[in-house]
Amino acid sequence: MSQRLQQGFSQFRKNPAFAGFVLFAFTILLNAVIQGPGSFFGVRRLNTLIYTSLPFLLVVMAQSVLLLSGTMDISVGVQVALVNVVTIMTMQEWGLSFILACGLGIGAAIIASLVCWLLVSVLRLPALLASFALTYAIRGVNVLIMSVAQGKVPREFYRPYQSAIFDMVPASILALVLALLVWAYVRRTRFGTNIYAVGANPRNAFAAGINPAKVQLQAFMLKGLFVGMAGICLTLVTASGNPTQAEDYGIRSLAACIIGGLSFGGWGSMACGVFGGSFLILTQNAVEFSFRRLGVLIPGFTASTYWQNFVSDIIIFLGLLMTMVTAKGQREALRINLQNSVMFKRRAAHGK
Amino acid sequence: MGNNIMRRWPALMPVAISVLLYAFTVIVQPSALNWTAVTSIVMLTLLLSFASAGQTLVLIGGGMDFTVGAVMSASAILTAAIMNSQDGRFLPAFGAVMVMSVAIGLLNGVCTVKIGLPPLIVTMAISNVVSRLQYILTQGSPLGYASPAFIRTVTSQLFGVVPSLTLYALVLFPLMFYILNRSRLGHQVYLVGNNPVAARLNGIGVNKVVILTYVISAVFSGFTGMLGAAYMQSAKCQMFDEYAYNSLIAVIVGGTALTGGVGTYTGTIAGALLMVVLNNTLTTPALQLTPPMRNILLGLVMVLLLILYNRGKAVRQ
Amino acid sequence: MLEMRAIDKRFDAVVALKGARLNSSPGEIRALLGSNGSGKSTMIKVLAGLVAPNGGLILLDGKRAAIHSGVDSRKLGIATAFQDLSLIPTMSVTENILLGNEPLRAGGFVDKKKARQTIRELLDRFHIDCDPEAYVQTLTPSTQTMLEVAKAVSLNPRMLLLDEVTAALHYDEIQVLFQILRELKAQGLAIVYVTHRMKEVFEICDTATIMRSGETVIDAPVPELTLDDIVYYMTGQRPEVAASASEMDVAQEGETVVDVRDLEVYPKVWGISLKAYKGEIVGIGGLQGQGQPEFIRALLGAEKVATGSIDFCGRKLSLKSPADAVRMEIGFVSGERGREAMFPLRTVQENITAGKVAKGNVGEYMTPKSLRAFANQAVDKYNIKIGELRDPASSLSGGNQQKLVIARWIAMNPVLLLLDDPTRGVDVHSRREIHKILRQCTDEGMTVIISSSDNEELLDISDRIYVFYEGSVSDVLSGEGKTADRLVAAMMGMGAANQKGGDQ
Repeated sequence: MSQRLQQGFSQFRKNPAFAGFVLFAFTILLNAVIQGPGSFFGVRRLNTLIYTSLPFLLVVMAQSVLLLSGTMDISVGVQVALVNVVTIMTMQEWGLSFILACGLGIGAAIIASLVCWLLVSVLRLPALLASFALTYAIRGVNVLIMSVAQGKVPREFYRPYQSAIFDMVPASILALVLALLVWAYVRRTRFGTNIYAVGANPRNAFAAGINPAKVQLQAFMLKGLFVGMAGICLTLVTASGNPTQAEDYGIRSLAACIIGGLSFGGWGSMACGVFGGSFLILTQNAVEFSFRRLGVLIPGFTASTYWQNFVSDIIIFLGLLMTMVTAKGQREALRINLQNSVMFKRRAAHGK
Repeated sequence: MGNNIMRRWPALMPVAISVLLYAFTVIVQPSALNWTAVTSIVMLTLLLSFASAGQTLVLIGGGMDFTVGAVMSASAILTAAIMNSQDGRFLPAFGAVMVMSVAIGLLNGVCTVKIGLPPLIVTMAISNVVSRLQYILTQGSPLGYASPAFIRTVTSQLFGVVPSLTLYALVLFPLMFYILNRSRLGHQVYLVGNNPVAARLNGIGVNKVVILTYVISAVFSGFTGMLGAAYMQSAKCQMFDEYAYNSLIAVIVGGTALTGGVGTYTGTIAGALLMVVLNNTLTTPALQLTPPMRNILLGLVMVLLLILYNRGKAVRQ
Repeated sequence: MLEMRAIDKRFDAVVALKGARLNSSPGEIRALLGSNGSGKSTMIKVLAGLVAPNGGLILLDGKRAAIHSGVDSRKLGIATAFQDLSLIPTMSVTENILLGNEPLRAGGFVDKKKARQTIRELLDRFHIDCDPEAYVQTLTPSTQTMLEVAKAVSLNPRMLLLDEVTAALHYDEIQVLFQILRELKAQGLAIVYVTHRMKEVFEICDTATIMRSGETVIDAPVPELTLDDIVYYMTGQRPEVAASASEMDVAQEGETVVDVRDLEVYPKVWGISLKAYKGEIVGIGGLQGQGQPEFIRALLGAEKVATGSIDFCGRKLSLKSPADAVRMEIGFVSGERGREAMFPLRTVQENITAGKVAKGNVGEYMTPKSLRAFANQAVDKYNIKIGELRDPASSLSGGNQQKLVIARWIAMNPVLLLLDDPTRGVDVHSRREIHKILRQCTDEGMTVIISSSDNEELLDISDRIYVFYEGSVSDVLSGEGKTADRLVAAMMGMGAANQKGGDQ
């Protein structure tokens, strides 16, 4: 039994998500220690944490899909805002029901994703720069649709989202489960393996009879769906519209994926993205809480949010270093392993 | 043939587009043609080209530097804080800025080369940390002003017409020209960017060259930040953050390949001019563009420029 | 069944194929032969849909076939095993083999059970011993190659293209492969087999198509060809005994410049000892992939030495990087021009001065005049055909590019010049000129170590030849013993290393 456990662990150490998981576990532990397990794992606080950070986590999942297929989109942040303004304004101006408006919002995210696909996969522009240019355009569109923050969401929609089912399970987690299920399904279809092939090596994928542009189109559509869900969740968190929110999600989601162990093109898994994103959220949470706690413990201690931000960014940077050092170690171990097996084969051949 | 001209004179196209754009601006609004407007375009172009000098070097070497904006802002803050409106404190400010820039440049380079982090991500993360430091240092509000004498060296008009910032260009442009086109380093950077494997087998210390490009980039950004502090007179946190992207775009528009190995500094200067003129045109009152429309147009124009310059290769040959 | 007629292909300025043709019929194994750069791989890539030809006609069963992509190629029943492998290293064995061909069940799910069974059978058939869930990057090169072939066969094609797949394989794996090929042939598959190993041609192929510089030279049944014929059609010259050998003043056993002892480099070099004297050209021969590139790169400090020692000019050499080697006056010319030597986007001048630029203080002023003079001199002296010095290097022909790379180093006058198959894909004329240049240099005291895939070249130019086989020296030829048949025998591993130990 313990041997199997050991074997399982050594397998897991070779997994790309290993570093991300360690970071994730570390921040969970950190939060539990700082806040006290009863308090951190308490339903009320956990619920708030989950429903407020869900939009970002969904965006990270969207970005992960793109990274796996060998591309990226840093305009996902403004796309989340686009979903938000489309949903609120169609409801407010056209009198649509909330559900219908949400559908339009998700549709808007998918259209934006298609435009990005056109630039990146069809016109073959560098993904970073093309999606940066797109950030400007979509930001403009957002403000055209909604000039200043306004609007509201009917209470019967945002209350359930922010509540906990039977005071046990945060309702918002259903959205995350839904997204993960969608991915789990997709991963088991042909598209699920093709996306890795295209991300790792478009030429070889092409040689194997796969159309890279088509696979990336599917990846962008899926990403549009996830971003749409993120936008709806954000709308339910704030219960209003704001054309300039969530802009930094683009870059931060990219950082989350890399910290979690995804690399540009075909290496890693959705777990990497989820761990990386959670690490970012939990780090911020822990730092915020400990500063508040310090203020209580030490009379006269006042640290501005500036210090908080600084400390979280330093931790994030260190996390980035750790992931990369781990990945390097994994590669090195692999090299030595291969070397040994080649030597072994040779010896065996000569022994004959 | 046309391709050949563009390869040899990458600055030609952005300059031509800039002239056309400016002519268009003048046609829709004749009052746009005045000396103050031209001076302002010149000064902003110079600032952006100084900031993009190091970025040019880094991109040619196959990397990318997103700390340009953060280093500029941090340097502006340091400058304003150390000078504190008093003359004769240029050297201490300069020293502090250089120490900071070299440290950040080294960090960028070492993390990219030794740890193998993608340059985009690592420079972005470092740039975040630098921005946070600015807030800690200033507690969010401006500290002091650049010294009056220093401000004069940047903003006064020589002979009543030429902005004095051009004097700095007389030093910085030749310096950059030397680094890129005359020094051994410059030659090595081009080779490393074009084919790092061949460069290594050819006996070039690829890691050293790449680290140096990041250090030089940070030094240029740092010094431009000082000039920026003088130009704006005081310094706020994240004041120059947009220079990170703007420098990247200026360099790309100026004909430098994102994949490395190709590019010129004259092209970058022309690219900077185009970015500034474009911004100027979009804000021309006569066009009556609302800010969102401006953003949309800016995005579209950038996409068009990318299509002109930076298309990748097809999978099938 | 398949016929390719008058296929043309240009990559920028380089002509890869001109009017090439190829036939293939069911139940036949056809060898597609030619020296490096003759266009065999390009032909394979055209059929696989990776390269779009500029002209020509592909007929399948007498009907015109349009191959625009890998999908088209597969639909026509063509499967390809590529020389540089088309496996995705970051995916599992199962995923790789079934890529684009996954068995599906209801709901669009990939049928894992069926997949596992298919893979199990396939791995057994090919005697591949590996975990179906292992990432391909964790497997040895020879296993990866077997998987590449297994993947192609698993598509149940009508036609199978194998592009130099045996280079990385061990003897027993090759026997397994040949057994399977014979079975497939009996089932009526059309097989095109690209190889460099002549022994294999005679062992398994029925017919042969030989290509030279992008053209098809001859189609013939293998039994009608002799080894001499094949070499003649591949090179355009009858192999003759190098008459010049005795005329050349064989270097005296004078000053030792390089002394390598028991060198091992993972995963290809297993205990090689070699000596080179001042003013000598030492040739390294052997089939492709016998450790020549790794050996030469170890001398340059670009590959990590596992065990063994290298003495250079009487001092122990421990190099961390090629930069160290260059500082010690060692130069290197790679035959992999595109990947390892050329800077295609940079100008001709910059390419020539790249060696000069590499060495020295980074801040130093490089006068444009001296650089131009250096480049001009090299162009004149080594007769490189260029347009202008400021044209991009990609505008030069292959032969001139290679002369340029050699000139880059020779103009620096190094003590030791390493060349790894420098004349690959270079035309006969440029090749002769390169030989002349090398000879001049050694006369002036330079030491040259050159590996070559071209036997004639080796016999012609080297004072002594070390023949590599599976990472060890199988024979050392010099003086009278430097004959074509002894070289070929040594290349097949039938060397005399144990009887005539050279200078060991």
